[in-house]
Amino acid sequence: MIEFRDVKKTYPNGTVALDGVNLKIADGEFVFIVGESGAGKTTLMKLLLREEKVTSGRLIVRVNRTGFPGGQVPSGNTAEIPRVGTKPGVTEYDLSKISNFKVPYYRRELGVVFQDFRLFPNKTVFENVAFAMQVIGESNRVIKRRVPAILNIVNLTEKFNCYPSQLSGGEQQRVALARALANNPQIIIADEPTGNIDPKMSLEIMNLLVKIHKRGKTVIVVTHEKDLVDYFRQRVIKISDGRVVSDGVGGMFG
Amino acid sequence: MKQYRASYFLGQGIKGLWRNGVMSVASITVLMSCLVVMGSFALLILNIDVNLEKLGLMNEIVVFIDETKDDLAVEEIGAKIRALDNIESVEFISKEQALEEEQARFADYPDLYNLVEGDNPLRDSFVITYQDNSKASTLVYQLGQIDGIAKINHRQDLAASIERVKSGISLVLVWFMAILFVVSIFVIINTIKLAVHARRQEITVMRYVGATNWFVILPFIFEGIIIGVLASGLAYLIEWYMYRYVISMMTGSFSFVTILAFEEIALPLGLAFLGIGIVTGIIGSTISTNRYLKA
Repeated sequence: MIEFRDVKKTYPNGTVALDGVNLKIADGEFVFIVGESGAGKTTLMKLLLREEKVTSGRLIVRVNRTGFPGGQVPSGNTAEIPRVGTKPGVTEYDLSKISNFKVPYYRRELGVVFQDFRLFPNKTVFENVAFAMQVIGESNRVIKRRVPAILNIVNLTEKFNCYPSQLSGGEQQRVALARALANNPQIIIADEPTGNIDPKMSLEIMNLLVKIHKRGKTVIVVTHEKDLVDYFRQRVIKISDGRVVSDGVGGMFG
Repeated sequence: MKQYRASYFLGQGIKGLWRNGVMSVASITVLMSCLVVMGSFALLILNIDVNLEKLGLMNEIVVFIDETKDDLAVEEIGAKIRALDNIESVEFISKEQALEEEQARFADYPDLYNLVEGDNPLRDSFVITYQDNSKASTLVYQLGQIDGIAKINHRQDLAASIERVKSGISLVLVWFMAILFVVSIFVIINTIKLAVHARRQEITVMRYVGATNWFVILPFIFEGIIIGVLASGLAYLIEWYMYRYVISMMTGSFSFVTILAFEEIALPLGLAFLGIGIVTGIIGSTISTNRYLKA
């Protein structure tokens, strides 16, 4: 669950990027965040990634890894709880107060996809995905077992040994998505994930995000692409001048 | 099981060093030069110390007798000297003996002293050895009080002037060290900054996938350590070669000077080089990655 409570963000030069944003995103939701350039979408993402700190208000992220709504595990349940990357259970992060020391551990709860992919050109597909796991100190045994499974989700099993330059834009974004999934995060944040790829590939990437969402992940997509937003008919939060101006489930772009 | 392996950071450090070839070579060269200069000064001071100690151990004072004194007066002076405290032995050397010694020393130039025959310009003297070095200045004072002693030559005077030279050299050394140390750190900072710049995209992604500060900066710290280790190793080899060369030059011409064998100083010198090299590398890389120590 992600909750913005009257969040304001003012930059040192006096620009008010967010002005009293109130938002709640539940576990397992799929949300589009739309808005014009300069509306505050990027700031909202930066706050969520804790690249920037909120000026006032509270931003709380409660990560539920139990697989049950609200993190309430029914007694006697023996269902296997995902264990890769993070510990099972519920953890609450108050991003308005979190110490710098804890930020890396918070970020491990997120999977982030960028418009420009941000892959390492000198690493293979396998190594790019494995990198995210190496960074958090995952063992080689776990990496070797898990990376092929993730590449299978994004349909890139055959290309594990290719370098990014040998892949199409859509394929590169799928590698980036695989990397975002590597540590089994509960929240996926995609910043203009289809901005650099053709419409056919865009649809493929969005379908993958929906597939990931169906596995119980919370997916937040920041986008400009009206057609895609209208096509997928999910919750759409529109931001303008630092404020939420519309928020509707199955809503249209406009 | 979460594990970070030192081999990963070491590997990344070596890669970084390789990627910034020219700057890495510059860093290693500057730090190496700094260590060689520092090592050379330190070795010079160590050798001066050994020779000073040797001079001190000689415990010898030579007093020259006023040439107007006759033999009886000289004998009286000898008796007065023997009666003083802290005396080990007193040897009388007459001006004739002294002249013979001088003539023997300059046998190749017989005319030098033959010209003065019959008018010996040298003085009678007593070579005094004493027991306790710490009371030497008292003895020198007491000798000065004896009437008829024209001049007192004390090895400690020589030791004191060498000591002054040594202090001068030490002061120069400290300044040299400080300047070269700062220069080395600056060059290392720049090298590591280039390495950080080359990997800025990687660092951004590391941050987004939850890398801790240490995970981000350790490869650069390792890079600094490698620079330090390589520089100290090269400096050690240069110092070793230079020292052997100086010894071979000096053994013929300056046989009265004691020179420490390289083996005696090899270990402390090597450890000091390695320590300074590593510390400089760590300081340089820590400063250049400091701004990345944020969330």
